[in-house]
Amino acid sequence: MDCEQVVRELWDYLDGELTEERMNEVRAHLKACRGCFPHFDFERAFLEALAKSKAEHTAPDDLRKKVVAKLRKAGLA
Amino acid sequence: MVDSPDAKREQDQRFEKEALPWMDDVYRFARSMTHDEADADDLVQETYLRAYRAWHTFEPGSDCRRWLFTICRNVFLRTREREARQVDTGGDDAVLETMAAVREASPFAMSDAEAIFSRLDLVPAIRGALDELPAVFRAAVVLVDVEGQSYDEAAAVLGVPIGTVRSRLFRGRRILQHSLLEYARDSGIIGAAKRGKPQEEASDGL
Repeated sequence: MDCEQVVRELWDYLDGELTEERMNEVRAHLKACRGCFPHFDFERAFLEALAKSKAEHTAPDDLRKKVVAKLRKAGLA
Repeated sequence: MVDSPDAKREQDQRFEKEALPWMDDVYRFARSMTHDEADADDLVQETYLRAYRAWHTFEPGSDCRRWLFTICRNVFLRTREREARQVDTGGDDAVLETMAAVREASPFAMSDAEAIFSRLDLVPAIRGALDELPAVFRAAVVLVDVEGQSYDEAAAVLGVPIGTVRSRLFRGRRILQHSLLEYARDSGIIGAAKRGKPQEEASDGL
């Protein structure tokens, strides 16, 4: 696998969307390649930061009340 | 459908136990599509109402969160039909778009990611950047990157081919990265970060 292929498949790799064989090939390349690792490192940090933003963004409390009230009106016991 | 009062009570309890806990997730997804808090609020309420009415069609043991996402998406599309048509005729050739996104160098690629991510106040930065993303990209990014759905699951929710999810996701990520770069510049972080990283230390976490 060359660097261009690895960079092209980096997000699929980080998302776990490649076949096991392909995952191993990318992993082996990243382990050995001085040029590709910073790309991987950045993209991983970026995706981790995005995933972490989830905890900070929740439904407003009054929305829960509104939803439940609407459901009770629709017959929820 | 439910025949007896006992069966109805049991169905309702199951709905409360299985569907209501996903409200934060549904809200984030709704917000990603509406781009507006009040509209997201309405969309979540309508989603839960329709989900409750259709609860007898929900297959026990299947993915309730994905089921709610799908309802949410469908409600959104129905209420915004015209806008949805405009969005879907954007002519996104999945393969070309994906190639363009992955070929475009990350704006941060040669910087020290750890320094940037530890110095940036990421919560407002990401919230702001997500808000600026066009709706089609935002929905894909929120489903996959925030809600942890696979490409396949996101494709089912959005009702588009997996290649389209992939292209929208990759495009959306690049746009987000450019927004974060601007935010980092505005915050004085770019330029202060160390550059480069010794290869000897760089092979963990693969």
